[in-house]
Amino acid sequence: MTPAGFAIEIQDLVKIYKVKSPHPVRALDGLSLAVKQGEIFGLLGENGAGKTTLLRILTTLLHPTSGRAILMGLDVERRAYDVRKKICAVLQENAVEVFLSVEDNLMTYGRFHSIPRHEIAQRADRAIEQFGLGEFRKQKVMDLSGGLKRRVQVAKVFMVDKPVVFLDEATTGMDPINKRGTLEAIREQARQGRTILLTTHILEEAEELCDTIAIIDRGSVVAQGDPDRIKSLGSAIVEIHVIYESIHEGALGELTQLPLVKLERRNLTLDLRVNAKQISPFDVLQKVGQVGPVISFEVSSGSLEDAFIELLGKRKARTGGAP
Amino acid sequence: MIAAVMYREYLIRTTSMVWAFYDLFMPLTYLLLFGIGLDRAFASGVQSGGQILGYNSFFLGGVLAMAGFGIAINTAYGFFVDRENGMLYEFLTYPMTRGEFLVGKILFNSSLALVQAAITVGLGALLLGIPLRWERAGFLLPGVVLGAAGWFFFLTTFALRIRRNDMFNTFINVAYFLLMFGSSLFYPLEGLPLWLRSISRANPLTWHADVLRYLTIGLGRTDTILAESAAFILFTFLSFLAAVRTLQRGVVK
Repeated sequence: MTPAGFAIEIQDLVKIYKVKSPHPVRALDGLSLAVKQGEIFGLLGENGAGKTTLLRILTTLLHPTSGRAILMGLDVERRAYDVRKKICAVLQENAVEVFLSVEDNLMTYGRFHSIPRHEIAQRADRAIEQFGLGEFRKQKVMDLSGGLKRRVQVAKVFMVDKPVVFLDEATTGMDPINKRGTLEAIREQARQGRTILLTTHILEEAEELCDTIAIIDRGSVVAQGDPDRIKSLGSAIVEIHVIYESIHEGALGELTQLPLVKLERRNLTLDLRVNAKQISPFDVLQKVGQVGPVISFEVSSGSLEDAFIELLGKRKARTGGAP
Repeated sequence: MIAAVMYREYLIRTTSMVWAFYDLFMPLTYLLLFGIGLDRAFASGVQSGGQILGYNSFFLGGVLAMAGFGIAINTAYGFFVDRENGMLYEFLTYPMTRGEFLVGKILFNSSLALVQAAITVGLGALLLGIPLRWERAGFLLPGVVLGAAGWFFFLTTFALRIRRNDMFNTFINVAYFLLMFGSSLFYPLEGLPLWLRSISRANPLTWHADVLRYLTIGLGRTDTILAESAAFILFTFLSFLAAVRTLQRGVVK
């Protein structure tokens, strides 16, 4: 652990590709962040934002151009070998031994991570059961579907007890049942004190799973905090869902005159989206109450996706990029 | 950790018996077909180092060197398969040094080269009557292992830097052709024109073939062979350093 109690600490990290070319690519641009031990930390950003580059630096695959990354108290660049003893990773590619069976994939992974011989089979059995791979255990991975290959890949990292786990879009291609199981497995690992750093494009997944989220864009952090804070930072959207006993059409007509982001009616149900910067949600609620006798209603803040789009949109507007 | 890499190589290799058969019996087949053909063509023998030898005897060391080179190519080609499967990057995040990874890969395949050499030398002597220097047979072990390792480390740098499969195939075809025919693999260097002899003398495949020839049939001067051995060890060491450096800096773009 670093003295400050963080599992990962990144300071002013810069990575420039094609340094000597006339058009160098600045993938990381002075990125700084810190990940606490035992937390699930989500890294969100558009394609090309720098997520994968950051993960590759932290997993010792790439050298940064400048800046510093410390993992469990170890400098990632200077003590790469020691860092590799502390980590395991699911990278973006389907990294599986296609010529080997599911079982042999897990057994070889166990050997590479120095699990005692007598424990490897036991742990492999557990991972096979946890990820529903029992019926495929003797099959060569080359004969499996993309989703199953991904399951094998994710199952591997849950065999070992490394303090830091990197998951780059780990649930891509999985069916909903396995995705649910994988998310539960990730939570379980965090409960055991492992630090999980994940990237995903599925924002509901990040919202549900992560203790802390960082949104990065063009190689630097745009926003960081727990999901609720991120939502409040980025979005002024309020969602209102109402079910009526009956609807008074005249009052509904008045409601439609308000500057709402969305108003959708399905029989006796209304779904509204309000931008709090355009109109007070309380004024809207008052009009909503006049539409008819209410059976139930629910008010919620906007989703993480709203915040994500708004934060990145604002930044692009400021920097002149396309929204 | 080296043992884990070897175990993985063993599992991969044993998934295809065609691969294993090709690796183990290819040199013997070469000796039996190509060797016998040229042995008949040069019925009066081949002159080398002041001796007249049957072509098969001369060719045995060349076949062993070529086989080690072939194993090195197959092992280096494995990087492309690993890259396609996404495994290459994952390996590089495992708790092992880049050197351990390379050594583990070639150690298993060198043991294949040893079995291959034993089959080729044993059956070559039995079927073709090649007169062997049995007292030197023990030295064949480091000769064969080092040969496969040296060429593997050399090719690794190219396999990792050339990112396209078809480009690597072209590179291998050209390298194979130039290195094999610009060496003492198939013919003695004495009778060659100066330019080709000079090129061949500087070719590590010549050094490797000469050492193996010395160890199997006793051809060559001891001082020359020692110098060639030292040069090949240096070649192996430098290739190893280059391969490790490439794994450290040049794989992920």
